Amino acid sequence: MAIFLISSVSQGVIGMFSKMIKTDGDIIITQKGISDTFFSNVDIALMDKIDKIEHISSSYAMIVGASPIGHIPIAGIYGTTANHFSHYKLSSGKYPNEGEVILGENLAKQFMTKSINIGNKYFEISGTYSSDIGFEEGGVVMNIGDAGKLFNRSASFILVSSDSPNKIDEIVKKIPDLDSEIEVKTTQNFVKEYNQFKIIENSSFVISTLAFAMGLMGIASVMSMIVNSRKEEFGIMRALGKSRFFIIKNLFFETLIMSLSAYLFALILSLAILAMLPHIEMLQGYVNGTLSLSTALYVLASTLIMALLGSLVPAWIASKTDPILLINQGCA
Amino acid sequence: MIQASHISHFYGSEQVLFDLSFEIRSGEFLFLSGESGSGKSTLLSILSTLLKQSNGELFIDGTLIDKISNIDYFRQSKIGFVFQFHYLINYLSVYENIALAAMDDKKQNINKILEELGILELASRYPNEISGGQRQRVAVARALVNEPKIIFADEPTGSLDSKNSTIVYGLLQEASHKGTTVVVASHDMQIQDYATQIIRLKDGQIL
Repeated sequence: MAIFLISSVSQGVIGMFSKMIKTDGDIIITQKGISDTFFSNVDIALMDKIDKIEHISSSYAMIVGASPIGHIPIAGIYGTTANHFSHYKLSSGKYPNEGEVILGENLAKQFMTKSINIGNKYFEISGTYSSDIGFEEGGVVMNIGDAGKLFNRSASFILVSSDSPNKIDEIVKKIPDLDSEIEVKTTQNFVKEYNQFKIIENSSFVISTLAFAMGLMGIASVMSMIVNSRKEEFGIMRALGKSRFFIIKNLFFETLIMSLSAYLFALILSLAILAMLPHIEMLQGYVNGTLSLSTALYVLASTLIMALLGSLVPAWIASKTDPILLINQGCA
Repeated sequence: MIQASHISHFYGSEQVLFDLSFEIRSGEFLFLSGESGSGKSTLLSILSTLLKQSNGELFIDGTLIDKISNIDYFRQSKIGFVFQFHYLINYLSVYENIALAAMDDKKQNINKILEELGILELASRYPNEISGGQRQRVAVARALVNEPKIIFADEPTGSLDSKNSTIVYGLLQEASHKGTTVVVASHDMQIQDYATQIIRLKDGQIL
């Protein structure tokens, strides 16, 4: 189950952020040489020049930051240009004007007040919004001007959409001519190369590999202990004339049934926990899980292999021992 | 039926049987007697093919045991066992325990044997639901189901009271009268009354 949860949560975090960026534009513009969007600062005035480039349908700027909000120690803050407000589906109220914010539904559950304190400044709550992305559901959306004052920057990045998918590469080459301090990538390439994702992926890979290895060793040890505790039974069967093949065949099917049952139980429990995670208020929707088919199949195959190795190897060794010794070992 | 020739056995570097040679004829009721540690259980295990001797040759029904390619089938078709602690499998019913030992063409014998031993009504019960004496009778039924040529019993009454011991000896004697060779290793001298041949062991040697 640990294998499922660790892999799923790390995949979920990466999935949420990449979805946030991929779905909102074809091209992303960040500050040159900055590895994290949190530290990026791009001149918002660049949008006017970008909009004049051929085959560009729209662009918007965002500031992505994090700050304590009221009693919440940390939450995501999304400052955006007004043309991007429609991305956040209003559940109540209206989109924010200057000095106002809208709250994600998860965060809104924790505030019954009309205003909230962000970075020692009070903002009126003008409404709430919903989003499929957990990060956004637990965050705050405000005008980019207000966010700029909070985080002391113009924009974290600019996202650009094109009306001609086959012209995107051409546009990516053109935009850097407008400003020497920017870096331009397709959103797909950005997600692939983004350092934070690599860090999350690598650390989750290490943690899940360790959990996986420990889990597999645990499975093999448990199966081995079960087989060893049944030596007397195998000895009796051999004494009664049952062949080695009969004993190993029976054990193979028993192990298969036990492993599959344990696997299904862990899978169902993990899916239930993953389904509950976005609804746990304390987590503000930031922890989300995605269990891919390939992960599920990989865990299944590894579990079966280790369980079978853990049971059949000691059974094979036992099957070559004289029956009376097995019976006596079982009694010991 | 059984011919042992220069049988010796070691556990590690410790020798427990010393160059034993003897013959057991078909239909005999052999009592293998001796104190604890005399080697009678080890000898019984070797004679019953459950343990391979370190040295010497063993012939059963004219066949050299070391030359048998499928010892499991040989054991199932020719040999029945009764152990001191019955060794029934707890998750199987009485009927299933006997069926586990029975060859396909002998399964129809199960109910008949249970009836002969007076335990037919226990067929669907589990070992932990019946008494010690009943369990040992089930173990005898399991040993008889394949109509073996030889029955080996190691302290078959070791955990039974005298009434149940008499029942078990009676069953083994009846099998012997029907032509089955019976070999019993025991401390219990009561078995002398049933035996037709006695081998006494001391410190791994025949007295």
